[in-house]
Amino acid sequence: MSGAREAVARISEDVVTGEGAPAASAPARQASAGWKVLPIVEGLVLLIALVLPWVLQDYLTVFATRVVILALFALSFDLVWGYAGIMSFGQALFFGAAGYGVALMARDLNVTSILLILPAGALIGLTAALLLGGFLLLGRYPSSVIFVSLGTLTGSYAADRLARGWYYLGGQNGIPSIPPLTLGSYEFEEGPVYYYMVLAILVVVYLLCRFLVRSQFGLALAGLRENEQRIAFFGYKAQHLKAIIFAVGGTIAGLAGSLYAFHEGFVWPNMLGVVFSTQVVLYVLFGGSGTLIGAVIGTVIIEGVSFWLSDNYRDVWPIILGVLLLLVIMFRPLGLISFVLGERERVGRFGKAPKEAGNAAP
Amino acid sequence: MASTFAAVFEIVSFGAIIVLVVLGLGIIASMMGIFNFAQGEFVLLGAYVTYLAYAHGAPVWAGMIAAPFVVGAIGFVLEALIIRRFYAAPIVAMLGTYALGLIIRESVRGLIGGFYLTVPEPIGGSIDLGSVHISAWRFTIIVITLLVMGACYLLLARTSFGLRVRATLENPALARASGISTPLIYGATFAFGAALAGLAGALIVPVFSLFADLGIRFLIQGFVAVMVGGVGSFIGPVAGAGLIGTLSAALPWVMSPVVADVLVFVLAIAFIKFRPQGLIAGKGV
Repeated sequence: MSGAREAVARISEDVVTGEGAPAASAPARQASAGWKVLPIVEGLVLLIALVLPWVLQDYLTVFATRVVILALFALSFDLVWGYAGIMSFGQALFFGAAGYGVALMARDLNVTSILLILPAGALIGLTAALLLGGFLLLGRYPSSVIFVSLGTLTGSYAADRLARGWYYLGGQNGIPSIPPLTLGSYEFEEGPVYYYMVLAILVVVYLLCRFLVRSQFGLALAGLRENEQRIAFFGYKAQHLKAIIFAVGGTIAGLAGSLYAFHEGFVWPNMLGVVFSTQVVLYVLFGGSGTLIGAVIGTVIIEGVSFWLSDNYRDVWPIILGVLLLLVIMFRPLGLISFVLGERERVGRFGKAPKEAGNAAP
Repeated sequence: MASTFAAVFEIVSFGAIIVLVVLGLGIIASMMGIFNFAQGEFVLLGAYVTYLAYAHGAPVWAGMIAAPFVVGAIGFVLEALIIRRFYAAPIVAMLGTYALGLIIRESVRGLIGGFYLTVPEPIGGSIDLGSVHISAWRFTIIVITLLVMGACYLLLARTSFGLRVRATLENPALARASGISTPLIYGATFAFGAALAGLAGALIVPVFSLFADLGIRFLIQGFVAVMVGGVGSFIGPVAGAGLIGTLSAALPWVMSPVVADVLVFVLAIAFIKFRPQGLIAGKGV
């Protein structure tokens, strides 16, 4: 947290020197010449993701598909926590609700068309997030951070308990044997096709999120995270901004949940509950909250290592995970990505750089 | 009549268990301002210490007496090494203690495996009141809960240590300026909260048996109880715990347990939304 504050201070310092003493801004410009770490990292990740199915065996491609879906889920949490500073400890509620929703559509209504399932999943996530977010975030008095985090956690826990006890939703066992997704008469089976379909969705959503967080709306969100009161004094309706981004996060989580349900072929109560909710927190914190690519990288690393270790070290892995997480929180609050990514680039900027503006004027 | 009495006893004894679990959580949340996600694992540790003592041939009550001291000591060390860094940011404290809890829980899971281990009640049998038989151990838990509650209240309200704790809560800078060592007070308070959790774990392990997810079961209920009661005082969380515990034990008698389970949480969150200060507002004891 304090790191982020330093970064803001440093940026404002740059602005001051840029305006007051043009000569002093030369080193700053030098520094900004090596600006673009983020696109390089993003490009690398995309490249690896694209060639992966050719390198991996089939059963590993299925695993990679699951990781890509979870990365989409992590993205939704990152928007809410990393950008707007809303601690949503119950993000799995939207993920699981959409999963259960589309599973019921497939079971009871025989709907498996991708053109209906994905919008329906996103819509379920959006509705649930609007209801829960509206209740927790809006109101006459601004809600405390603690209340929102415990409220979302409780919501997710209660949904888990409800799903476990409700016979219609399959109780403890959930809903098994969901038929595959279809497009016309084509069936999406697990494997490379499903992988590329999910990857394409991830890339599109990623680009939309990237546009969103680099817009003025996104900067207002970052301001909200750093100093909510100041943003409110600027005239932004802080609570509305929070509710909007919470709903966007819920939509993406719903999309991920419906993809996950059809990919795994079944849904079960854990998908709604505390297990998945905290899992996604781990991904994002580990990779680096407040950068979209950090969420993706965190998911890939945690799931990858967990898969790799699961045969021999199944018992020890959760303990190692806990220790790593504790170390990251204590010493690298901005996650692994902060090893390569500077503060300045993480926060980003809005509009043209001052120097370019100066050149363009005459 | 007899069945009503049995039901009331059931409800009260569950309420007492929740109060016992929440006491430590409430003291840490109120006096230090952090929500300790590892509290459930301190309960688990207390239960585990009792089980260890029993497994090595010591009497169960000896394990129960040892548990709060062992867990309190662990809490003190953890506070000095780790928790201390998190005071500035409550959300980071949540995440950090969550990671800590994960480590403790999975370590215990590694030690006991996926089993449900039973520990016998040190005071077995039942108390007969006319035609009604109530479990002697559950009755003992109610009595101990009342005693511990009273002792905590006296400690915080009537002793010089309690005064220092409250001073540190009220205004840390002024407390430091008055010569109170606030880091030591924080350490002691955290250790005390952990010790209470250890005691709770030791007392409830004969009822619920020992398994790795024992703590999680109570954690969320505990947080909700603290928020309902009101953060910042000693009485608030206790009142909230009594209410939540009683409600979640009583509602299944009048409606389907699944609905009751969820309804308690929904009611609690709605209550906190419209009364953020909780049942009992204000700082102090």
